[in-house]
Amino acid sequence: MNWRPRRSLALLTLALGAAGAGLVHGEVYQEPDAFVAEVFGSKPAPKVLWLTRDLQAQAAAILGHAPAQLRQRYWSDSHKSVWILEEIGKEEPITAGFVVVDGRIDHVRVLVYRESRGQEVRYPSFLRQFGEAKLAPGDRLDREIDGIAGATLSVGAMERMARLALFFDRTARK
Amino acid sequence: MKKSNLALALAAAFAATPAFGQATVDQKLQILQQEIDDLKAQARSSAAPTQQASPYSLDYSSMLDRSSGLANGGTNIVGYGEVGYSKFRQSGNATADLQRFVFGFNHRFDERLTLHSEVELEHAVVSKDDEGEAEIEQAWVNYKMNDAVNFKGGLFLIPLGILNETHEPPTYYGVMRNQVETRIIPTTWRELGAGVHGIVGEGVRYDVGITTNFDSSRLDDPTTGIRSAHQEGQLANARNLAVYGALNYRRPGLLVGGGVFTGDTGQNGASNPALQGVAARFTMWDVHAQYRVAGLDLHALYAAGTLGDADKITAATVAANLVDPSVTAFAAPKSMKGAYVQAAYHVYKQGNFDVAPFIRYERVDIRQAEDPGNNLFQNPNNNERIKTLGVNFWLHPQVVLKADIQRYATDKSQDRFDLGLGFMF
Repeated sequence: MNWRPRRSLALLTLALGAAGAGLVHGEVYQEPDAFVAEVFGSKPAPKVLWLTRDLQAQAAAILGHAPAQLRQRYWSDSHKSVWILEEIGKEEPITAGFVVVDGRIDHVRVLVYRESRGQEVRYPSFLRQFGEAKLAPGDRLDREIDGIAGATLSVGAMERMARLALFFDRTARK
Repeated sequence: MKKSNLALALAAAFAATPAFGQATVDQKLQILQQEIDDLKAQARSSAAPTQQASPYSLDYSSMLDRSSGLANGGTNIVGYGEVGYSKFRQSGNATADLQRFVFGFNHRFDERLTLHSEVELEHAVVSKDDEGEAEIEQAWVNYKMNDAVNFKGGLFLIPLGILNETHEPPTYYGVMRNQVETRIIPTTWRELGAGVHGIVGEGVRYDVGITTNFDSSRLDDPTTGIRSAHQEGQLANARNLAVYGALNYRRPGLLVGGGVFTGDTGQNGASNPALQGVAARFTMWDVHAQYRVAGLDLHALYAAGTLGDADKITAATVAANLVDPSVTAFAAPKSMKGAYVQAAYHVYKQGNFDVAPFIRYERVDIRQAEDPGNNLFQNPNNNERIKTLGVNFWLHPQVVLKADIQRYATDKSQDRFDLGLGFMF
């Protein structure tokens, strides 16, 4: 095909206009505060899990790298706890909320996704796999999580965060 | 850290009541001291002003080492590479090669605007007398309006096939990339251009755009289909452009998709005057699927392409040979198709270790525009069937050891045993 600058410019302008009309903040699917409030009905006061050296070592074994923050904020009542965690997929952090009820994951939501590929991890068809998951020996999940082609590292990050949320919940309830 | 700040931090720390009090006061002091030491180390090592972190992280005491991510508005380094050893059955020869080492710089300018780049070094040494090549594999800017609408511009990968966009060694089976996505789809296929892409519905990803195209005057190896006519963003003749479109549907364990790319490649004879006024339209399309269930990993792909005016391109190579005898005349490819099916089974998974034997069957068929008058005929090796039996052993999701045996039905000189090591980061 031959290059027709005027037509291409007009098409590009049209596309930009159409996209601009639907401009939204594309990365934040739900504010973390809103997620916590949704789980508890209102936002309770946060609690703090202090990561002693032992806990740091165990968290590092789950994540594959040392945790940078040494105090983990969370919210809980007698049965459930909520953990807002972040982990890098390929190169940008994914922020996800995990609700743990009686030592099992109740539900998961991707709250902020920043990478240009791999957004499929935020869809229910993927997140449903974590429902009722608990920790197996070795702090692994008790099930296989099916991956998504082209989003392997984002899937891995979600799995690590799920394990960490369960581990933190178990630790906080000791 | 100023003393007043330290005091405030200590006061705040002890004011926040730990839920179950599992850390003693001494342990808390140690943790705070560790945080202070980390902050001091960061302050010492950071020459640039501190970047503002994402507002969603620190409030929630992220586990993340933020210096390693792009969320701080910085630059990230990514990369991959592979080493291969091949022992050829017929000749007994063997080669070992650092096939490629790729590094890239990805940068976030702001919340919406990012740069993605990859620089590839092939075969370890790049010089006039060596086989190695240095090339820019990708260099494109993405502007994200939202998940559904992204604009990209620059040198980017064409979204055809499975491997072209996702080609890091730990993501595919076998030491060598499969032949269909090498000789039919010329992985790693990139063009200069602009596109719109995004994800709509639940897992439907589209990608459409306009790009530079091949220059059929540059064809010099019909055994690799259209590959040798690529321009790769190097002073590309852009009289003729191409358009492409791709749709892929992904859900856990499943990928189904396809794409098409079409445009003229004659470039009005910019590289060979014999092709002036020749359209030489090239069209390629593919469909592919991947399904993973209970440790079984299945792949299938079919790709086909046509190159119009192939007889004129053949004639142009003859003309070029008459002007310069060092230029070899050949029968240009007029159509090309290929398919493969592959099955792998994850037999062992423990921690990061993951072992998966696999088997693959491929078929490649490239038809050439023969010119009997000039003794230019079809190369029999362009009709090939390849069986591969091998195993991938992931030491880590990003590091893999590979071994395989390949048998070629036509070109027996390619029968081989391969060993490989691949990584990405």
